[in-house]
Parts: sequence; C-alpha cells; structure tokens
Amino acid sequence: MLDGIFTGLTTAVMPFNLLMVVMGCFAGTFIGMLPGLGPISAVALMIPITYGLDPASGIILMAGVYYGAVFGGSTSSILINAPGCASTVVTAFDGYPLAQKNQAGKALALAAYSSFTGGTVGAIILLFAAPALASVSLSFQSSDYFALMLLGLTAVAAFSGKGQVIKALIMTVLGLMIATVGTDVTSGTTRFTFGSVDLIDGVSFLLLAMATFALTEVIMTVLKGQHREEEAQVDMSRLGSMKLSREEVKEVAPTIARSSVFGFLIGVLPGAGATIASFLAYGLERNLASAKEKLKFGKGALRGLAAPESANNAASTGSFVPLLTLGIPGSGTTAIMLGALIAYGIQPGPRLFVDNPDVFWSVIISMYFGNLVLLILNLPLIPYISKLLVIPRPILIPLILFFSITGVYLVSFNTFDIQMMVIITVAAIFLKLLEFPMAPMLLGYILGGLMENNLSRALTISDGSFSFLWERPLTLTIASIALLVLVTPLLQRLWQHYRHKPFSSPGAEAAVNEGEG
Amino acid sequence: MQITKDHIGGLIFLLLSFTYGYYAGQIPLLPGDDFAPFNAQTLPNALTLIGLVLSVGLLVTASRDKADALKLSGYDFSLVAKLLGLVAIFGCALDWLGFFVATVLFLLGGYWLLGERRPKTLLVASLPFAAGIWLILTQLLDIYLAPGRVFSQLFGG
Repeated sequence: MLDGIFTGLTTAVMPFNLLMVVMGCFAGTFIGMLPGLGPISAVALMIPITYGLDPASGIILMAGVYYGAVFGGSTSSILINAPGCASTVVTAFDGYPLAQKNQAGKALALAAYSSFTGGTVGAIILLFAAPALASVSLSFQSSDYFALMLLGLTAVAAFSGKGQVIKALIMTVLGLMIATVGTDVTSGTTRFTFGSVDLIDGVSFLLLAMATFALTEVIMTVLKGQHREEEAQVDMSRLGSMKLSREEVKEVAPTIARSSVFGFLIGVLPGAGATIASFLAYGLERNLASAKEKLKFGKGALRGLAAPESANNAASTGSFVPLLTLGIPGSGTTAIMLGALIAYGIQPGPRLFVDNPDVFWSVIISMYFGNLVLLILNLPLIPYISKLLVIPRPILIPLILFFSITGVYLVSFNTFDIQMMVIITVAAIFLKLLEFPMAPMLLGYILGGLMENNLSRALTISDGSFSFLWERPLTLTIASIALLVLVTPLLQRLWQHYRHKPFSSPGAEAAVNEGEG
Repeated sequence: MQITKDHIGGLIFLLLSFTYGYYAGQIPLLPGDDFAPFNAQTLPNALTLIGLVLSVGLLVTASRDKADALKLSGYDFSLVAKLLGLVAIFGCALDWLGFFVATVLFLLGGYWLLGERRPKTLLVASLPFAAGIWLILTQLLDIYLAPGRVFSQLFGG
C-alpha cells in the first residue's frame, strides 16, 4: 500500500496535475454556483477537455470539479437561497437565514470549513477502505460482476424516494436499451441502427451525458422562465466577518465530525450520494439536538449548516469507493467518471489498482490537495467568485449551450451528433416533466455494455444455465441483496397502493429525485 | 378517471417496449447463434420483457391524485422550441459556414431570443468570444477546423 501511496503522491504532485486540481476546483465552484447546474453537468462539461489529457490528469480534473461543484452549490444556497445543486438544498435551510442576518461571511466560512473537514475525513477513510475492498474484490468472477452490476442498477432505484421506484427502474431499463444500440461486441452484428452509419458505434456516452444533463438543465430553466429572474446582487459590504468564535467552533466540531463519517458511509452505498447524505445528516443532527436547539433549526443554526455541508463533501468522496474498487458508480457524477475511464480504455474495478495504480492512487491523493485548494484559495476568493452570479442569464445560457454542443462536436466532428443531441434533449425534457429521474438512465447506459459482457461470459461458462447466480456463495449473496433492494420498495409501493395511501413525497424526496450528487 | 403523469409515462414506455421488442426480433443472428446460450438478441429480449412488466406495473400502481396530472401551463415551450431550433441550425451551419461564423451567429441568435437587445452587448459577447475560442482551438490546441463549404466553394481550397 505504501508503494501505491508513493506512486499516487508522485503523480499527484506533478505540476500539471496540481494545476488540474486548482482548475477543477475553480471551474467546479463556478459551475456549481449557477442555479440549475449541478455536479453532474459540471463534470459532463469537463469530459471533452479531459479527452486530451492522460487518464490520471483527466480523472483528477473531474474529481476537482466534482467537489468544487458541491462546494460552489452551497455558496449560491447561502447568498441567494438558490441551491446550485440538489445536494446543497439543505444548506439553504440555515445558510440563507444566516445571510439575512448579515452573517453571510460566517456562513460561507463555516460551509468551507465543514466541506474541508468532510472531504478530508472522507479522503482519509478512502485511503484505507478502497485498497482493502479492492484486494477482496480481486477474486471476483464474471458471475460476481454481473450480480454487482445488478446491485448497482437496483440500488439507484431503491434510493429514488417514494413513488419514484418504478420510474427509476424504467429509466434504468431505458439506459440499458440505449446501450444496446450499435455493434454487438460479441457477434459483430448491428442492432437498432436502422441502416444509419452514424449509429454503428452506438450512442456516444458524452453526447448522452451532455444532452440529458447540461443541455436539459439549461433548457429547463428557460422552459420555467427562470432566465428572466433577476439574481439578487451580492452585496460585498453585507457579508460580515468570516471568523468563528471559540464557542461556535466548539458547538459545531462534534457535528462536523459525526456528519463527515456518516456522509462517507452513505456515499459508499451504490446509488446513494451527496444529496441523500446531506438530508440524512441534517435530520440526524436535528434529532440529536435538544428541544431548545431544535427551534433554531431553519432559522440560522450553525449545526444545521455544518451537518449537510460536511456530509455532502464526505459522501462525494465516499462515492469513489464503489467506483474505484468495484467499477460501480456510487452516484450520477461518478457514473459519468466511469464512462470517462472506460473511454480512456481503463477498466474501473478490482484490477484498477493493480493495472493502473497511478490513476487509482493519484485520484485519492489529489483529493487532499483539492480540499486544501477549496479552503485556502476559494474561501478568501468566494466573495469575488460569487460576483459571477450576476452575469445576466440571457448571456450565460447561450454560452452554456455553446459549450455543451461544441464539447460533443469537437470530439466527433460529426454534425449528426448535434441533431441527435436536440432529439435526446426534447425527449429528456418531456421525461423530466413527467418526473422521470435522469441519473438511473445514464447509469443503465454505462453499465449496460459491461453487464452484457459479464452475463454473456457467465452464461457461456455455465452452458446457458442461470445456476451461476446461486453456485458461488459470493454471487448468491450479492444477487440476494440486489433482489432485496429491488423488491422491498416495489412491495412497499404495491402495499401502499392497495391501502390507498398517497404516494406524495416530501420536499426532501423531490430533491433526491433530481438525481444529482 | 384522472389521467396523471404516471399513466402517460407508463403508456409511453409500454409502447416503447413493444417497439423495441419488435426491432429486437429483427436483429440478424449468425448461423448457429439460435442455439447459443447468449446471442445478440438475448439482452434486448430480456429488456423488452422487463420494460413491459415495469410499464404495466407503473400503469397499475399509477397515482390517481389530481395534483399529479400533467400541467403544461406556465411553461415557455415556444422559446424552448426556438432555442432548440437554433441549436439544430447551428449544427447545419457548422458544415456550411465554418466554426467561427456559425458560432457568432449562434451566440447572437441565442442572446436575441433570450431578450438581449443592446447592440453593443450583443457584439461584445459574441465576436470576441468566438474569436477567442477559435484562436484557442486552432492555434493553442492545434485542432483543424474546416472553413465551411460556402467559403471553400467561393474562394477555393
């Protein structure tokens, strides 16, 4: 492990990679700050840039953008009560009331310290957890992989919130269906191409990610007329002091410690992520508070701000565990990173830390630098960066559209991809209006090819029998968990349906269903 | 009976699954693949079945609450259609007018559609931006951007 850490350290401290961390954190903070654009869109917008970099630098950049975007989202939550992404919705509960009391500076500082601690604690646990899990998973066979992918796909649906389970599963199946378009790698025959040469290679991952997230999110703001809303001007003079008193530090320290570990554990679960972690950490902290303190929640409680901020950053780090060790994304954002790794020709999973130790370790090590960058550079600069929030939407929206389109075009140089993006965006908007979550579709698409390969291999080895699912104890265990995760919410929904209970979900679940994180 | 988003979604995916299943049956198989434990049709057929089951499941358990009905009022579909039309035109213009001109026109069109009317802002936010991006791509990143068929036909090359 020490060798690996040194390898990672050597790669991560290369000046170019350090530059990538800084750039990633800045770009992520800026994009995450823009209401409507979350970490998924931020990372998706970076993919075309990373294609020109080596794998380690590319993933380091994307990781920086990821936690930068989570951090940036909290800034707009605190300053203008407009969360940049779903995982910072809770931050606004107590962050914005603090800003209204002329304590925006303190709220921003606390958010930065909490994010830093959450991210760093997460990175420390990741340093030990990832290699341990990866060593165990080296013994995995194709049947185990297939079961793991089933678990990854079903877990997303399980965390979708009440009333959304079937919709999330349908979207997962849609993603798997899209993954079957193009040439079948095992037989070489073309599927669902309708004679079009442009579809022989299938639907590009980048195109799908850009169209369903970056482009759709921006178009949705236009559809809802949000581009006409004037953003609140950030008044620099009203930010107040950024210092926390000793009593305040004492008050929030246990909260930050608790929420960091808790957030990491939630982030590790496939399909969970920063959004769920932030809501649960806030709920946990509120439950732990005394009756008197409980009344402060929602009115500017420091603990109410520290808990979700620590948890969402720790969860972002935690979601790298299943990605790096099992090749299964823990969130929508890491699903995009999985796609990027596959595009590099790198197979994420147990072999990653054996075959590409530089990528595996440098990403983990770079997280320490990333969290430092967020704290040291972003904290003093945040009042200035937040001025970008006042760029008029009629200028900003066409620019984001332009970057989304050219990001795809400059990889393929095929204008058919742009027309395809338009078609997919129209479909995605309609699906969003029908409240179908997008993240499960992307996850299904990314895992589709891998799942088909492993199923094909497992079925061929077992001569067409599905007995491979129960012959190995490990496969049986994972498959059973997948089945349990799948069946429990479905049965709950049926049970509620026949008892005529409403499916309406509270605000927390609505935010979770946005699928960001 | 109240038609809700769940009903519409379920029906759409039911139709999609049927269509997908139909075309899954059209996938050509190699000789002997019919008897292979796994062939190019296996996963698509399984997905068709799962898609049908889930669509029916959504239809059966669909919410009947009035609050869950699809409401299309209050949305600016006309502006979205214009913007997406602009994106599609940008796609075509890239081939014919080249990257620089197409970008300038796309940005001008985008700003205009979203309500920006000040000529100075329109020009400052499009021309220097497009020129900057073009320079970065061609000079810094050494990416070849074709000049556009119109210019090739007019001036040769």
